[in-house]
Amino acid sequence: MKISWLGVAVIVSSFCFLRAQAPAETRSVWDGVYTEEQAKRGEEVYQKECAACHGDMLTGGESAPPLTGGAFQANWNGLSLSDLFDRIRKTMPQSKPGRLTRQQDADVLAFLLNINKFPAGKTELYRQSEMLKEIRFEAKKPAKN
Amino acid sequence: MFSRMVRNGSLRLVCWVVMFSLTPAVAWAQNHPKDTEWPSYAADTAGTRYRPLDQINASNFSDLEIAWRIKTDNFGDRPEYKLEGTPLMVNGVLYATAGSRRAVIALDPESGELLWIHGEHEGKRGGAAPRQLSGRGLAYWSDGVDERILYVTPGFRLICLDAKTGQRVPSFGENGVVDLKRHDDQEIFPDLETGEIGMQSAPVVAKDTVMVGAAFREGMTPKSMRNNKGYVRGFDVRTGRRLWIFHTIPRKGEFGYDTWLNGSAEYTGNTGVWTQISVDEQLGLVYLPVESPTSDFYGGHRHGDNLFGETLVCVDLKTGERKWHFQLVHHALWDMDISSAPILADITVDKKPVKAVAQPTKQGFLYVFDRVTGKPIWPMPEKPVEVGTVPGEWYSHTQPIPSKPPAYNRNGVSIDDLIDFTPALRERAKEIASKYHLGPVYTPPTVSKLEGPLGTLTMGTASGGTNWPGGSYDPETHVVYVYACNSCIEPIGLVPAPKDISDLNYIAGVAGRDVQIMRGPGENAGADSPKPPKKRPASQYVRLDVDGLPLVKPPYGTISAINLDKGEIVWQIPHGETPDVVRNAELLKGMNIPRTGQETYNVGTLVTKTLVIAGEAQVTTTADHPRGAMLRAYDKATGKEVGAVYMPAPESGSPMTYMIHGKQYIVVAVSGGPYSGEYIAYTLPSAGE
Repeated sequence: MKISWLGVAVIVSSFCFLRAQAPAETRSVWDGVYTEEQAKRGEEVYQKECAACHGDMLTGGESAPPLTGGAFQANWNGLSLSDLFDRIRKTMPQSKPGRLTRQQDADVLAFLLNINKFPAGKTELYRQSEMLKEIRFEAKKPAKN
Repeated sequence: MFSRMVRNGSLRLVCWVVMFSLTPAVAWAQNHPKDTEWPSYAADTAGTRYRPLDQINASNFSDLEIAWRIKTDNFGDRPEYKLEGTPLMVNGVLYATAGSRRAVIALDPESGELLWIHGEHEGKRGGAAPRQLSGRGLAYWSDGVDERILYVTPGFRLICLDAKTGQRVPSFGENGVVDLKRHDDQEIFPDLETGEIGMQSAPVVAKDTVMVGAAFREGMTPKSMRNNKGYVRGFDVRTGRRLWIFHTIPRKGEFGYDTWLNGSAEYTGNTGVWTQISVDEQLGLVYLPVESPTSDFYGGHRHGDNLFGETLVCVDLKTGERKWHFQLVHHALWDMDISSAPILADITVDKKPVKAVAQPTKQGFLYVFDRVTGKPIWPMPEKPVEVGTVPGEWYSHTQPIPSKPPAYNRNGVSIDDLIDFTPALRERAKEIASKYHLGPVYTPPTVSKLEGPLGTLTMGTASGGTNWPGGSYDPETHVVYVYACNSCIEPIGLVPAPKDISDLNYIAGVAGRDVQIMRGPGENAGADSPKPPKKRPASQYVRLDVDGLPLVKPPYGTISAINLDKGEIVWQIPHGETPDVVRNAELLKGMNIPRTGQETYNVGTLVTKTLVIAGEAQVTTTADHPRGAMLRAYDKATGKEVGAVYMPAPESGSPMTYMIHGKQYIVVAVSGGPYSGEYIAYTLPSAGE
């Protein structure tokens, strides 16, 4: 059999290219992607900036959806954490979207994860949307291998 | 294409008009039958949400595909995630409200092509409005020559547009505008710019009168016992001149004033009609579903029955004069606003024809009256109800309870309602419920105490039951179809109001937690909104669920078919896929749980010749479809599901249908979570595809 080394090179380089382009979703919200400390900071921001519409218990109201519970988690299930971060960053607070800093938005997101009983870890949540793409929002805890 | 900008005092009007030839549509309109159109918010002024179309039917519903779609992100200075509109389709053009600016758009109903757009920049007045975002819709009027579109802006101005161009009609009001904060028999306080009053529902037009109600902020934690009043008015659709006003809180000397003790009618406000008004043009009668007076859960500053709070009122179309009324709830304490359009139905009871009006409600009673006389079709005896113990409160000792039809959703909470998938879950639910006061419909709120009760656990109250989407009605079979939340639990507790927050003695709250002023739908969410107030941190977070599972057992949400000739529920089905949190629960693995329906309060139904159609209002991810929601069709005779089509986001506005050039379309508003507002039109594939 005659091997075309040029062909192999093309295939290998294409594979490497595809690997580089593929989304690097290697973690989920079950992997301890924020810290307790960050969630505490987020709680303060939440109560000051978000609770008037979403409720101090995050149960929502007529004006805003709940940020805890099954319906909330189903809304974001399967998306990346950057989708949720961007929703906060680009549209919240509704009175003046983008008024909060990235750090505040990330802290609020950490608080939401905490309230929804996703575990805390040792490193803080990223505060850049691009970096949050690697973290998947999984409503259901994955089975252990 | 051209653009035009007009300065009008402090209000800036921006009207972009993209005009294309409407000639083909007008030519088509000359030969069309009315059954193919949707000329009013609820299809007609009888509130039926019914069209006898049948091209889309049980055999092909699942074949539906998207004909066109339009995102509403750019119809305002920020995207909207709560698109609640139902479009109109009349004379070959589709009209809708859209976006955080509450713009009006005109579209080609076959292609979705934008024909024109109209937007009002209201500045601070719009930003301070209690009911913002895109609203629920608009009204159409024509005398055969002129065609007009009417809608109410967030800043509470009635706008009249030329339906062909989207330009204001100069001869209506002042340059196409009636300032609804004026001509209202009251001084809106504190001022016209920031005074609390608005409206998110669609105006209704009957003959040559356009009618509007009023809405306010969320009423659970009002800042004051005093507020502006929600009167209802009729205006001449040609000139904008006020024709009549109905005082939903009677003035001194008017009927019902004495139901407000200690002069409380003078300062109490709200009591508006924030939902849809229905009209019988032939009888010349208007049906007003009135909401609660100021302070949803505490009436200690408004002793008495409080007419016309939570009352169905019939008034004369020409004069606004009261013909009859029936108070559904005396001295409102549960936020049981009459929340949806009264349904006008010509039925046959005991072999006698009756012109009836049927009123769906949050509390799950369908109240049915003779719509000429106001007499109940079936007895509604006053029955004793629990009297509470909140200091300073005044209680009605009885409430009218319809003997027929039976309640179509849970309207109280008992141990038997709690989750029972397993005995252990029931026990844990009982433990949670033990912190609250339980009881049947009209169990009053309690003062919230740390040692218990934290409040009264209720269902069929603030959320409903049936909320603003209301029901549908088939005039051929005399059946009402109505969605209801069957699991929307509302804990109602009262706490002394901090003096820096409210002048009421009590407002809604939970012992041990800071009082939180709740905002109304869309408040501070629309264009030009100010920033929210500061808030102190809370100390604890309690969820009314058991390991994420709903506290009560299924069905969580239902559609009921109710025969109005007999006053009987013909069928009742759970509506909506079982929520992910239940379907995927480890605790329930291996159990065979039938479809549960979903916990939500904003599902609207549509009835056609053979189908009842309704979307899901929650997202699920299943083996059959990716993350999204389904628009479902049921055989209207049996309730059996006959088809479903995928939507990328939940139904957030009630569906409508029309037929043009031989094709039937269904349009539905979707939005929520990560998905911003979008109208989607479905139709069948063309022959041969």
